[in-house]
Amino acid sequence: MNIHIKTAWDHVRRAPFQAMAAIFVLTITFFVITIITILGYSSSQVLKYFETRPQVITFLKDDITPEKISALQNKLEADNRVSEVSYISKEQALEIYKKATAGNPLLSELVSPSIFPASLEFSLVDLSYANDLIEEIKGEEIVDQVGFTASLGGEETLSDVVNRLRTFSNYIKIGGGAFALLLTSTSFLVLIVIIGMRMTSRRGEIEVLDLIGATPGFIRSPIIYEAIIYAITGVFIGWLIALLLVLYATPSLISYFGEIPVVPKDTLKLFGLFGLILGAEFLIGLFLAVSGSILAVLRVKRK
Amino acid sequence: MLKLENVTKTFGKIVALKDINFNIGDSEFVFITGASGAGKTTLLRLMLRELLPDSGKIELDKEDITKLPSKQIPRLRQKIGVVFQDFKVLGERTIKENVEVALAVIGLPKNDWEARVEHVLKLVGLTDRADLFPAQLSGGELQRVSLARALVVNPKIILADEPTGNLDWETADKLMDLFEKINSEGKSIIMATHNKLIIDKMNKRVIELKEGGVFSDSESKVKTKSEKGKK
Ligand SMILES: Nc1ncnc2c1ncn2[C@@H]1O[C@H](COP(=O)(O)OP(=O)(O)O)[C@@H](O)[C@H]1O
Ligand SMILES: [Mg+2]
Repeated sequence: MNIHIKTAWDHVRRAPFQAMAAIFVLTITFFVITIITILGYSSSQVLKYFETRPQVITFLKDDITPEKISALQNKLEADNRVSEVSYISKEQALEIYKKATAGNPLLSELVSPSIFPASLEFSLVDLSYANDLIEEIKGEEIVDQVGFTASLGGEETLSDVVNRLRTFSNYIKIGGGAFALLLTSTSFLVLIVIIGMRMTSRRGEIEVLDLIGATPGFIRSPIIYEAIIYAITGVFIGWLIALLLVLYATPSLISYFGEIPVVPKDTLKLFGLFGLILGAEFLIGLFLAVSGSILAVLRVKRK
Repeated sequence: MLKLENVTKTFGKIVALKDINFNIGDSEFVFITGASGAGKTTLLRLMLRELLPDSGKIELDKEDITKLPSKQIPRLRQKIGVVFQDFKVLGERTIKENVEVALAVIGLPKNDWEARVEHVLKLVGLTDRADLFPAQLSGGELQRVSLARALVVNPKIILADEPTGNLDWETADKLMDLFEKINSEGKSIIMATHNKLIIDKMNKRVIELKEGGVFSDSESKVKTKSEKGKK
């Protein structure tokens, strides 16, 4: 083993309470950072889901030719106020209805495809275009009715929901970010304090090493390694606990939120997301460890 | 190999050393003596570049170490073995590890450690204490650890500041035999001490400091081993 890592490890073993304090603080910090990141991800997923839901449904008259339908569809697609245009045929409309009423066979058996009109659904780039656009589309000859579906039961419009979600999502990002920053700073300070204690308790040794010709790097290395041991351990444990928690909660999250992708449904993607978070956290941890120990070393030296 | 020219060192108003001049040759054994406060330690610290003189030159191997940029100080110190009055062994490491640390410091590959460590531990007679911790050793043994650590990097010169200061006469005497042996193998030794018994017994060159100046230097008599050094 590298002599510096061995020295660092000896220090950890000889002062287990200091080591535990450092590791606990880092564990909590990175547990919270992981959870906040996941919450941030989920809230933006939910937001995206609602933002991209069709907001305007154009019900088409019966018995019109496919050419006319695609003409209107093309026209809408070309309109830069409009996004995500899709055509729903009578049969698809029935399917959707059947799915929605799956729990109630009486309702689903009552209907035949003919009572559902075909429709063109689309979202608006900005909800403020809604009135003008709806008026324009009503003038199209194949259009029967235009529904501004952006109401999710009750009098709440989709734009209200989206706005509320956006605020919520921002709170998570700002509040969570501030909290994460506070914890990160605490970890940083704890690391500096503990490394400073280590420097003080090693003062005699450092003096000797200096006199027998050790370079500053040689003297610093075990201390930096020690901080890195704390950081890596803390990051890993905090991340692992968060991962286990999310894995444990995923089935109920998925069944609660249904088709809203609050967490990636496919396991590979979920692990990909967590892998990414772990990578970023290792970098943050390394940065804290290295900069904290260098700062502590410089401070002790100046005294 | 070591040459001091008009070296002066003050601490504020205290003049610790003034206008020191002397020359020390290869494999020479020199005592620096003088009353407490005469400036012996200060002189050794200047040689290690722990301190910078106010004026004057200190040349080691023809290199003026007072001009050395601080980045080069470790390289200078790696060429010098040091032994301290209070041993300065690392309490949390075994005897063997204490010696190994010096090899790690000079960056010697680990494969070469074993033979060197064994050699110096045998030389100072501590082979069977290798795996003990400093707290388990006597003062004389600790000073031998310190000497082994200084020797293991194979320095050309050894600085010792009152190495016998904390030892009884008999132990000190044995330690001096060891220094003598090391000197006979070609290493220069500069030893600060006020122990007249030792100086008289060893019959080496003696530089006596008094109030920061060179009071006497037995240099001329050094080559003729029959003569005694001045007090
Ligand atoms: N760091 C220092 N600051 C102020 N004065 C010092 C310092 N180091 C040594 N001195 C003074 O320099 C003089 C020589 O000290 P020193 O070299 O330790 O003497 P010795 O080792 O011969 O006993 C003493 O008067 C001492 O008080
Ligand atoms: Mg002294």
